[in-house]
Amino acid sequence: MQLIINGLVIGSIIAVTAIGLSMIYKTLHFVNFAHGDIVTFAAYIALFASTSPGIHLTSAFLVAVLATILLGVFMEKAVWLPMRRKNASRTTLIIISIGFALVLRNAIIFIWGGGTRSYDIPVRRGLDLFGATITPNQVLVIVAAIILMFFLHYILSKTMIGKAMRALSDNIDLARISGIDVDRMILWTWVIGLGLAAAGGVLYGLVTAIRPGMGWFLLLPMFAAIILGGIGNPYGTMVGGMIIGLSQELSTAFLPTEYKFAVSFVVMTVVLLIKPEGLFGGTR
Amino acid sequence: MIEYASMILPYVTTILLFSSIYAVFALGLNLEWGFTGLINFGHAAFFAIGAYTTVMLNISGYPLILSVAAGVVMAGFFGFLLGIPTLRLREDYLAIVTIGFSEVLRYILLNEEWLTRGPFGIHGFDRPLQDVISYQYYNIFLLMLFVVLLTIVYFSLEKLVHSPWGRVLKSIREDESVPSALGKNVFSYKLQSLAIGSAIAGLAGAMLAFYLQYIDPGTFKPIETFHAWIIVILGGTASNRGTIVGAIILWTFFSVTKFINPYLPFMSHQMGAFRMIVIGLLLMLLMMYRPEGIFGKKEELALSD
Repeated sequence: MQLIINGLVIGSIIAVTAIGLSMIYKTLHFVNFAHGDIVTFAAYIALFASTSPGIHLTSAFLVAVLATILLGVFMEKAVWLPMRRKNASRTTLIIISIGFALVLRNAIIFIWGGGTRSYDIPVRRGLDLFGATITPNQVLVIVAAIILMFFLHYILSKTMIGKAMRALSDNIDLARISGIDVDRMILWTWVIGLGLAAAGGVLYGLVTAIRPGMGWFLLLPMFAAIILGGIGNPYGTMVGGMIIGLSQELSTAFLPTEYKFAVSFVVMTVVLLIKPEGLFGGTR
Repeated sequence: MIEYASMILPYVTTILLFSSIYAVFALGLNLEWGFTGLINFGHAAFFAIGAYTTVMLNISGYPLILSVAAGVVMAGFFGFLLGIPTLRLREDYLAIVTIGFSEVLRYILLNEEWLTRGPFGIHGFDRPLQDVISYQYYNIFLLMLFVVLLTIVYFSLEKLVHSPWGRVLKSIREDESVPSALGKNVFSYKLQSLAIGSAIAGLAGAMLAFYLQYIDPGTFKPIETFHAWIIVILGGTASNRGTIVGAIILWTFFSVTKFINPYLPFMSHQMGAFRMIVIGLLLMLLMMYRPEGIFGKKEELALSD
């Protein structure tokens, strides 16, 4: 039971953070290897903001989301848009993104050091649930993740921006000739995708130690989640994230905890071997 | 003057030793990325497999030359295995799976102490001709040996990439629908390229173990992969000569930064991070503005769709 609760918590975080990775992948056709370190960046910005006097963690959360979105918009304007104009290949973009990942992670180490930190919040006693404990922070993570999912669903299905974004990820050329401002919509994709990643990063910081490698180690589970759920399929990613989170935690019942990450690797490889389009359809 | 030379000589030897090891390591990646267009983000894993297989076999009593051969074959075999689920799909999948593999392998090396001694690492294995050559000159001997190995790898690769086989690889890199329309089995060619590139990384792993005399999982952090990447891209993608120059540039940069560290207002953990920021930025800027590298030929590369 305890493992299921932990799995649901990690699963919600993987799901929330991976949606951005999946949306960018589908729309811009490249894998953003810096996505994990963007999650770390958000957690550190929230940490930094919350240590300033008079700022509550809730406002720090908003600061982190905003700062991450700004970073994403800056990267789009300075790097990704010019590279698209030059018709750069997918492989070029992947290598640039891993370069950016190295810069981001090491800038964090440079500024805040390599040690582990945590938010300065009182440790509260866990609630008893069918013989397992669930801490208020864990409840908060799950509730926040559910709210964010509904929010995303509302944007994608009810607003013009969401509809245009979905059109874009289906077929960018078709979207362009139907009069959609493609560059603006790509910017919105970054804003929403990285906003979710940042939110996930701060939530992750609530239930785990904040350290420079935290997001990097989330990257593999995120990849596993989006491949499992079908690339570019946000609802598939949510389910994929939950499955990966649960299977990682449940594996600790019979495997050493160090092998948690190996679970995502195995799941991913098996899916690629037998059903590369994922469980719920997507690009292969 | 002589005293000065005796001070500087070990320093230069160290740079050249590391450069030759990493030149071999990066030549493997250059075959995969430079000539075939495969993105291998787990190159360090094959480095580790080569080193661990060599030293583990050697301490269980097998002769050195046999152990090195086994290390090379083992690294190539794992490259082959990883290629099977990924090389039929889009190029990004290989990147994701190899990066995952190198992380998982590191956990295995750390945790399976019965096999690898875990975090304690392995030492006490043989080094080539260690009984014949006196300790004083050993590094010089090792350097000569490494240069010979590097030369063999270099000329074999040059021969390979200028053969019909190598031309198929380049055509896969440019547009894989062309060789496939001509009836070439693209998947099989990619698999061969990945296996050979990984085997070369395995050889580099054995070389590193001989030089360090001690290996542990920390020797093969994922960051080593990106050292190879920056070497290949700096020197010029698809240029074997450029790769060797890239390795020398990188290790000179490392020793210079170590040398000037006391004069910079950084703490020691900051120095490591600073180096990686430089490498990351360089990787981004080169790919953005000079994807053919410093010594690469632009006409050799057509990295746009």
